[in-house]
Amino acid sequence: MTQQLTPAQARISFADLAARLRSPRTLAVLAVCATALLLPQILSGSDMPVYVTLLLSAIVVTGLSMLMGYAGQVSLGHASFYLIGAYTAALIATHDKPTWLGLLAAPFAAALVAAVIGIPLLRLRGHQLAFATLAMQLILLNVVGQQEWTGGDIGLQGVPRLTVAGYEFATVSSYAYLALGALAVVVLITRNVVASRPGRGLRALATSEVAAESAGVPVVAYKLVVFSLSAGFAGLAGGIYAFYTGYVAPGSFPVLLSFEFVVMAVIGGLGTIWGALAGATAITLLLQQLNELGTAEGMPSSAPVVLSYAVYGVLLVLVVLFLPRGLVPSARDWWVRRRRPNPEP
Amino acid sequence: MSEFVQYLISGLAVGCGFALLGSGLVTIHRVTRVVNFAQGMFAVVAGLTAGSLLSAGLPHGVAEIVAVLAAGATGLLVGIAAIGRRGTSPQSALIITLGIGFLAYAIEIMIWGDNPHSFPGLGGAVDIAGAHLQKQYFLVIGAAALGFAALGLFFTRTYLGKALGACASNPYAARAVGINVTRMGLVAFTLGGMLGGVAGVLVTPLQSLSYNSDVLLITNGFAAAILGGLNRLGPAMLGGLALGVAESMVAGYYKASYQSVVALALMLAVMIWRASQHTALHEEAAR
Repeated sequence: MTQQLTPAQARISFADLAARLRSPRTLAVLAVCATALLLPQILSGSDMPVYVTLLLSAIVVTGLSMLMGYAGQVSLGHASFYLIGAYTAALIATHDKPTWLGLLAAPFAAALVAAVIGIPLLRLRGHQLAFATLAMQLILLNVVGQQEWTGGDIGLQGVPRLTVAGYEFATVSSYAYLALGALAVVVLITRNVVASRPGRGLRALATSEVAAESAGVPVVAYKLVVFSLSAGFAGLAGGIYAFYTGYVAPGSFPVLLSFEFVVMAVIGGLGTIWGALAGATAITLLLQQLNELGTAEGMPSSAPVVLSYAVYGVLLVLVVLFLPRGLVPSARDWWVRRRRPNPEP
Repeated sequence: MSEFVQYLISGLAVGCGFALLGSGLVTIHRVTRVVNFAQGMFAVVAGLTAGSLLSAGLPHGVAEIVAVLAAGATGLLVGIAAIGRRGTSPQSALIITLGIGFLAYAIEIMIWGDNPHSFPGLGGAVDIAGAHLQKQYFLVIGAAALGFAALGLFFTRTYLGKALGACASNPYAARAVGINVTRMGLVAFTLGGMLGGVAGVLVTPLQSLSYNSDVLLITNGFAAAILGGLNRLGPAMLGGLALGVAESMVAGYYKASYQSVVALALMLAVMIWRASQHTALHEEAAR
């Protein structure tokens, strides 16, 4: 996946292509893409919002997984970039500017903020960075909740529907396709970053910054770029969220949302794109099921909250202890071992 | 002047809570290298337990001690999950304590609901320099001072305390002289739980706690602890007190809603300043 193709190799013959298409990996990718595209047609009205939430989380988690898994930087405040994206889109749209401009500005605003605060913050490592990002989000929530121009604790309401070149995104399924398109872009960017020279540099600096720096990896610049990129992804998801729900308020972006993103990334498997997608899917679906269970008849009113917290906690602890690399890498290892009983040396 | 004294004393009282939380973090981090994200949860557990026991009819003093012991037991459980399995890296342990925090939310909501709880502390007030001060403030400061003195004696005068110190300075050498490092880690977690618990029972009468108060408590405790690089108790205590006073001054003279922002900004500034003193080379060489 990472090696460079020589021109001879690049000339893929028809047979090669056919063989590639038949490989389980390609088939799996095609199946997932087809399912993702068909789902908005199949799902019933009440399931669609869950699907949109899932896709938006997947966008954020893909970036977070790249930041945590490849670059080794922990962020416990990623919902702040989601917030920045959502507020940027909402502010632009409610000030009578074209809505597509809002969606376009959302990822750039989040990435810019990340680049600026990243300069001091990324000097910190490990748990210090985790607490610093958490502190940053608490500060942001506090400040946003008190400013006149952000609407205070009530937030911004009446965000118009997104309109691009005359087409108005009015239905839930149109937002599902929008989020799906955004997710595809994010996954492609991540895949290319990871498979490139900077991607290898990132993996090197995650192991040892000193060794990477001595080998010529521009550590500070790479950390800043990957931080901004993952923030930009979160901002993009936030922008879609603002148009989708029609209002933004500080209460929609609690610290717990940041923790949720981390849970999704860790459970799916850090540093893999499939892990991010699987983590977001697994947690969203599980929460949906628990919510149905919790709101069933005869359950106390606090049941949904209790169940979701309990499952978050138990899952996170069990996965970190017993599947420390996450669901997807563990499953992949199991698959490889099953197919090849005697691993080649 | 009276206002200043008022803010100073109330700030010191709240700061004692942060200092206790911070020293719990330091105690655990020194021995196990784990930053315990569930530290704020210990205070919440103890505060809520004490409230329930008091309303069940237990006298003051007994209820608080039982609550602190409960927090200590919680600390032991967290420790077992975080470091009980061999080969759990400190980074993974941080994520585990985050997960336990979630689990604790579920249990706390089941037992106490999601409303803030408080219980009456020491009633009455005294006037000093024209300031009207609740007696509870002085109780908190006095009890915290006693706690710190006991902690100091524990670490310098007892075998267990010295064994903890040995594990902190060199785990390999400690193991070589026959100290069970994992067990010492669990002792540190229990001690950290009790310190968090003391903070909880002392602070709850001043400001009510609910299940999700732990995020602000842990960030303040961490802010206090980071002053000593998470490894030294003295700076952590002083940091906690300074933080409490600073927050109280901001709340009093400026705006109450900005007090947590000031604390957090202070913490960020300290961390970034410290990072500029310690480069990656220092850190990786210390591994």
